[in-house]
Amino acid sequence: MSDISTSHSGDALTLEFDEGLYPKDAVYGAAYIFIDRCYVHLDRPSPGRISVRLKLKEGVKRALDDLAGEFENEILGQAWRRQIIDENRELIEQVTTQALAGAAGPPGLDDLMSMDIDDDTAFEDPLGIAMSWEDKYKKKSKPSGESEEEEPEEPSPSGEPPTGEGKSSAAGSPR
Amino acid sequence: MIEIDYSTDLYSGTAIDSAVQVYSDYASFELDKTNEAYKVRITKTGEFDEKTIADEFSNYALGATIEERQSEARPAPEPVTGER
Repeated sequence: MSDISTSHSGDALTLEFDEGLYPKDAVYGAAYIFIDRCYVHLDRPSPGRISVRLKLKEGVKRALDDLAGEFENEILGQAWRRQIIDENRELIEQVTTQALAGAAGPPGLDDLMSMDIDDDTAFEDPLGIAMSWEDKYKKKSKPSGESEEEEPEEPSPSGEPPTGEGKSSAAGSPR
Repeated sequence: MIEIDYSTDLYSGTAIDSAVQVYSDYASFELDKTNEAYKVRITKTGEFDEKTIADEFSNYALGATIEERQSEARPAPEPVTGER
């Protein structure tokens, strides 16, 4: 039996397809295109085969045989299109995902507020930009015993510079 | 009265139900189901030709079946969160 058989019955035309060659989705696709011109009825005459009955609507001036040829062309195109989609599905999904991610733009204020940020998940700050001024420049606590030696001498009331008596010089060199 | 069989493998029961609702103003419908087919008996209730009602009913059921299958095959788009 050939892959497509055609038969006339009164004002209708019936085409029969092998489902192995023309999948159900392709038959649906072609039938949907003809629904505006014809009354379309699908049936399953035997396992693995689908029949399509086409009957012209009133006012449509077309020959039924022409319609059969058009339907066969359409179903072939539908089957081929579906095969291309299946073969390239992964690529199409990748491109679509990239396009959507690009269109989303940077996160908005609401997105930032809803992010779960704590000490563990916060971003790295190698330059210390996020550190407060007080934390960055606060005086470090000095070890006990060194505090008197390192304190700067206050000027005397007469205005003379400090003599340094009783104290070792910073360099510790004799005078 | 016209009786039409719709293969359960090719037509959706939901689509046939919605077609019955749409054409209930023009005809009365009796529905039955076997393993292979939904059986629909159509009897006109108004002025329109019974054959035309049956043909239009079939087209509507087929269109609804195809649209239903397409919406099932197409996954719902995931919401875009803007996270990177």
